Amino acid sequence: MTERIKVWDLPLRVFHWVLVAAVTGAFITGEFGGGLTDWHGRLGTLVLGLLIFRVIWGFAGSRYSRFTSFFPTPAKLQAYLKGEWREDGHSPLGALAVLALLALLVGLATTGLFANDDIAFQGPLFSLIDKDLSDRLSGWHAQIFNLLAVMVALHLIAIAFYFFIKKNNLVMPMLTGHKKAKDHIHQAGDDHVANVSLTRFLIVALVSAGITWAIHDGLQLWHQQTSSAVNTKAQPVRIPNW
Amino acid sequence: MNKTMNKLLIALLLTLTSTATFAGKEEDQQIKFRQSAYSVLGWSTARIKAQVVDRPETFNKEEVQAAANLVAAIANSGLGKLYGLGTDEGTGWKKTRLKPEFFQKPDEAKKVAVAFNQEANELAKVAATGDAGAIRVQFTKVSESCKACHDSFRIRE
Repeated sequence: MTERIKVWDLPLRVFHWVLVAAVTGAFITGEFGGGLTDWHGRLGTLVLGLLIFRVIWGFAGSRYSRFTSFFPTPAKLQAYLKGEWREDGHSPLGALAVLALLALLVGLATTGLFANDDIAFQGPLFSLIDKDLSDRLSGWHAQIFNLLAVMVALHLIAIAFYFFIKKNNLVMPMLTGHKKAKDHIHQAGDDHVANVSLTRFLIVALVSAGITWAIHDGLQLWHQQTSSAVNTKAQPVRIPNW
Repeated sequence: MNKTMNKLLIALLLTLTSTATFAGKEEDQQIKFRQSAYSVLGWSTARIKAQVVDRPETFNKEEVQAAANLVAAIANSGLGKLYGLGTDEGTGWKKTRLKPEFFQKPDEAKKVAVAFNQEANELAKVAATGDAGAIRVQFTKVSESCKACHDSFRIRE
């Protein structure tokens, strides 16, 4: 007897696929460079906003979106490796991969904020640090990307393994929110654990956008104001007109 | 224990001093000059980008033209003379990031260098017209030629 149970709430699914699109777009624009470099920066900001959303959603989302529900504790991992894990949502091993992917993306987005390409691109927070540090962070940015590529490959291999070997389609639930559970023991209230209200989603989305703005523009404005406050105390600097 | 430490220290000192002696002064000077040249290039590309891409309302024909001419002047200055054999190692203002591949694939190195030259000269020509849209298009081509060389011949930090 198979039945459909809802595991992924809609905001989580939207987050997942927009993230896929944004990271792919950032990868392509970063590789091409030139006039697309500015778009690389914009997509990076979008990724940052999505990550902030995901972190908040990890506390405010529905059951299987929450970090507490899937955090891979040693006990859970042990049970999983013994084949005794029977819950819904991220498996403990999958949860490790999810957290690794998120951590790498946070590293990528953060280093990108301070990066420069030694041509004509500077991340929005470049002016807060000196050039040498920015160069180093730009190097890390590239290295973190390599690690991310490995993790994405593992992610896709795992999905293929589930699909072909275990005959379990993991992509469908990420699209529809529902999975087919064969040996699922139905529990009272299970149908509702993956539903969230639109209001909650909108609030979290707005807060995430606000934090993203504060990082992207707010810090810069604050820096400009504090440094211009220092400047007014000193002698006004005139630029020679030759 | 102390003797081993001393030996290690002496070995370290010898290594340091020998690299310092053998890394040629002439090579380091070339690296220093070219790092300076690219630094001035960075100043110029930043000025152009600010006025034609980021804040088009600040576009000033004379300033953009001056910056574009500087880019072209550096491109035409014979930068190749600052890429003597062995200058993939050494320290100018800081350690060079030139890959050894630069000397193993001279044809490819020449190709990216010539491409930069052509795009830079074209940029100076377009800048003289004062057409901000056309400058923007050509500026993109210049930045792509920069990236082509960075991707092939510059070590990522």
